Amino acid sequence: MSPVNPDPETGTVNLFDLELARCPQPVYARLHEQCPVARAAITGSPVLSRYEDAIWALRHPEIFSSAMELQMKLGTERPMIPQQIDPPAQTRYRKLLDPHFSRKEMARIEPAIRRHANDLIERFIDDGRCDFDPAFAIPLPCTAFLSLMGLPQSDLGLFLRLKNGIIRPPVKKPGDLEEAAGLRSEHGRQIYAYFEDVIDDRTARPRDGLMTKLVHAKIGGETLSRNEILDICFLMLLAGLDTVTSTLGCNIAYLASNPQQRKKLVENPALNETAVEELLRWETPVTAVPRLCKKDVSVGSADIKAGEMVTILLGAANLDRGEFPDAFDVDLERSRNRHVAFGAGPHRCLGSHLARMELRVAMEEWHRRIPEYALAPGETPRYSPGIREVLYLPLVWPA
Amino acid sequence: MKIRVDPEVCVGHGRCYELAPELFGEDERGHCRLLHEEVPRELEARARLGESNCPERAIRIERG
Repeated sequence: MSPVNPDPETGTVNLFDLELARCPQPVYARLHEQCPVARAAITGSPVLSRYEDAIWALRHPEIFSSAMELQMKLGTERPMIPQQIDPPAQTRYRKLLDPHFSRKEMARIEPAIRRHANDLIERFIDDGRCDFDPAFAIPLPCTAFLSLMGLPQSDLGLFLRLKNGIIRPPVKKPGDLEEAAGLRSEHGRQIYAYFEDVIDDRTARPRDGLMTKLVHAKIGGETLSRNEILDICFLMLLAGLDTVTSTLGCNIAYLASNPQQRKKLVENPALNETAVEELLRWETPVTAVPRLCKKDVSVGSADIKAGEMVTILLGAANLDRGEFPDAFDVDLERSRNRHVAFGAGPHRCLGSHLARMELRVAMEEWHRRIPEYALAPGETPRYSPGIREVLYLPLVWPA
Repeated sequence: MKIRVDPEVCVGHGRCYELAPELFGEDERGHCRLLHEEVPRELEARARLGESNCPERAIRIERG
């Protein structure tokens, strides 16, 4: 029996609990009832779970800063741009990058993503079974990233290795933090080196895709420095792949376990639009975002001190009955949905339009090709804490 | 009915122009660009749909 999470005695919550990763909604409900501003187990840092508190923090970057690369080292040598930079510098980068991630731009690569989705499905559809994460959820966002950047699809394997080297470093001894940090730095250097070569190539030979645009992009008449381009690329690799992988896994795991909902979606593909939003709200695979508090501030009844790391629990905010009176019903037709699965305020996920397009296309094509699927009998999906990737999701269908 | 969008508050979630493209457009950055301030009666429900899906609450409906 695992300890109660959150612990009502101490007001602490274990954010890396496997049960929270598998089924976070009851934990969020208890947080709202017992300790809306909890403290994270071990670190003791404040955890915001109310919708209003989350939105307020996200919209006040002058108090809740994103500039914390020293605390959040992920194999990087400098802050990732624009995620780990505060306004006003962050705003200049967003003005440059936002147009390349607009809904209109994403529509241009939609046919390619649809093709990639079908290519992947072709590989296993006749088997009547697959392990969803490696077979579909991992490769699809990576092919989308390569399309967007204008990089060859043959680099897929290399990218997956580099990304995993940062996010899940292949340590020999589980829990060896020193080895993990070393592996992260090593993979980080390889990521920098890879993109250095691409920058050289695109400078000499412009081609389609975002890499060429970044090489020629200007802020205030000045082209970006090599380091600026590298720091943007590093972020895109780390932020753009696992997040969509996790969302696809959470969505399909939910629908495999809720056949009525799956049937509803299969019979009415037009619902994909609202269903994608509702499952983002319900599952919120990117459960939390960190911030560094810059000054003493009161949130709700809790006092937060300057210098404290703060966790904004997006997943809990999205289940707050104050914002969603029927928060614990999954309504695939929900018409009023101001969820914050992509965050809010100036750091609103740069790739949100890309992610939404990928999710919609993947859901449409999956359900068109494989409408009748279920969890493999006797199997249990396995979720990772933090970003809720469904690492093991064995599915079966009539072949 | 009138709608107002606060450009200082909009950060480009894009829910409004996805859900109610008759009333809301997008600028180069994907931020909201209002197409009609005065909402025709037949589009009032669409205006409310846009308002109630904006996580930033950048859209305000005013009854005139």
